[in-house]
Amino acid sequence: MLHFAVNPVVASIFALLAIGSLVLSFVMLGSRWLKDYLHAFALQSWLIAGLSATIAWVTGFHELYFVAVLTALFRGLVLPWLLLRILRRLHVDRELHEVVQPATALLLGALSVIFAVVVAYRIDQTAKIDTQIVTMALTVMLSVKLIGFLVLVIRREAVSHILGILQIENGIFLGSQILVPGMPMMIELVLLFDLLVAVACFGVLVRYLVGVVGATDSKALRRLTG
Amino acid sequence: MADILLQIGQVLTVLLLAPLLQGFIHRYEERLQRATGPSLLQPYRDLFKLFGKQIVVPESASWVFWIAPVVAFTAMLIVPLLIPVLTDFPLPLSDMGDILGGGLILTLGSFFIHLGAMDSGSSYGGMGVSRSVLIGILAEPILILVFVGITLMAGSMLPFVVNHLLVRQPEVYWSPTHLFLVVAFFILLLVETDRLPIHSSTHIEVYMIEEARVLEYSGPLLGLLRWASMMKQFILYTIFCNVFILPWGLSHLGSFPGVIGSLLATVIKFGLVAVLVIVVETAQARLRFYRYQEPLAAAFVFALLAMIANQVR
Repeated sequence: MLHFAVNPVVASIFALLAIGSLVLSFVMLGSRWLKDYLHAFALQSWLIAGLSATIAWVTGFHELYFVAVLTALFRGLVLPWLLLRILRRLHVDRELHEVVQPATALLLGALSVIFAVVVAYRIDQTAKIDTQIVTMALTVMLSVKLIGFLVLVIRREAVSHILGILQIENGIFLGSQILVPGMPMMIELVLLFDLLVAVACFGVLVRYLVGVVGATDSKALRRLTG
Repeated sequence: MADILLQIGQVLTVLLLAPLLQGFIHRYEERLQRATGPSLLQPYRDLFKLFGKQIVVPESASWVFWIAPVVAFTAMLIVPLLIPVLTDFPLPLSDMGDILGGGLILTLGSFFIHLGAMDSGSSYGGMGVSRSVLIGILAEPILILVFVGITLMAGSMLPFVVNHLLVRQPEVYWSPTHLFLVVAFFILLLVETDRLPIHSSTHIEVYMIEEARVLEYSGPLLGLLRWASMMKQFILYTIFCNVFILPWGLSHLGSFPGVIGSLLATVIKFGLVAVLVIVVETAQARLRFYRYQEPLAAAFVFALLAMIANQVR
């Protein structure tokens, strides 16, 4: 776990970046327009890259600078650009069938944040951690993941689903940056290529959906044929 | 003695400057939309006109109809005793209540306006009350949550303590807790002072919320109600500026030049917040009835996130 000492200024920078990414998760949860959703994801990735760079600066793990650049480049530029290309080809602008209203979705998100806080406190008590920054990192990580799951459940568009998955991954990455700052470089590289492959597969899947079902709505996949 | 004078001065400030704030918002909103707009002093003229008119009371109205405007007006006169309007130190009667107490008295005022509106038996009154209570149900929990957040941040429920903390510790001022509480309270400010995206600036029957509640009133009683709602706006601006976002520029000693400076600072600060409100009102369309809960849900989320961020302190 966290080995470096944190002074108040650095702690508040961490808090601002982490909570900023949590706010962007809520933007993704509450917006109807897929483009807003995409921009929020790109911005969240940039915030997380900033977090990596700050950790590198505080702890002296210099390979984290490299991780920060990779994060900004891949998660912040390449993945959104690929998804934007898919979106342009699909002519889908927004979620048409909402399972729950945006306001209700925001409240459900708030409930999951409360749940994450409770879980984070329990983990802290059992693991005997008294650094507040770790509690907050755990909270943000768990809540971004839960909100990502929530997005997967309440959205119907295929593009929303992939963004939900990427959001969950962002949450895990954010948490691991603060909790285990000296994570090997290789793992990070593998993760990034995984994501790239996921998005590429997804592009193929969307094309299949459009060709066979004629829609990108996952509702159309309910019927069993055979 | 000086303290008592200052306290009277606080009430007079709210009483006399509230119409000016309303006039500023109305004038410059029109200006931003490229119209001429009414004069800055128009609310004063409106009040003067209303106080010279005859009172017409519906036959179905009881005594509640008469006392409602008086109670609402008195409530708005009590709240300035509790909050920092001119000085950043507590005055003799300021310890009567904390932030929650002030909120209670503000709500008491609108509660009596609800009673008065329903008492007249007019269908518009009932409709306005039902809408405004609906918004109240959505907004009140967030207000309480914001107060809880401020209490957790400052360790106290007194507005003066919060003011001192924010002035003395910039790291608390720039902490996510405080910034998110500011965002949440700003949304509440828009909702509670009858601004867009929920309230409408045009008074057409289908959109009316606040206006429908006072439709049966006339003459001096209507004047009192109008004045009370302007004072409520001024009080909420005071809390937003002096406790939340711009805690600087209050008199430390309570001397005469200090109070004049504090009045000038108030004009500048309220002008800034009013400009922000005007920009929001111009840029934002009125929401559909079924989307009222969206800005409030966002405020709720921000208040909640503020409490989460408070872990790191």
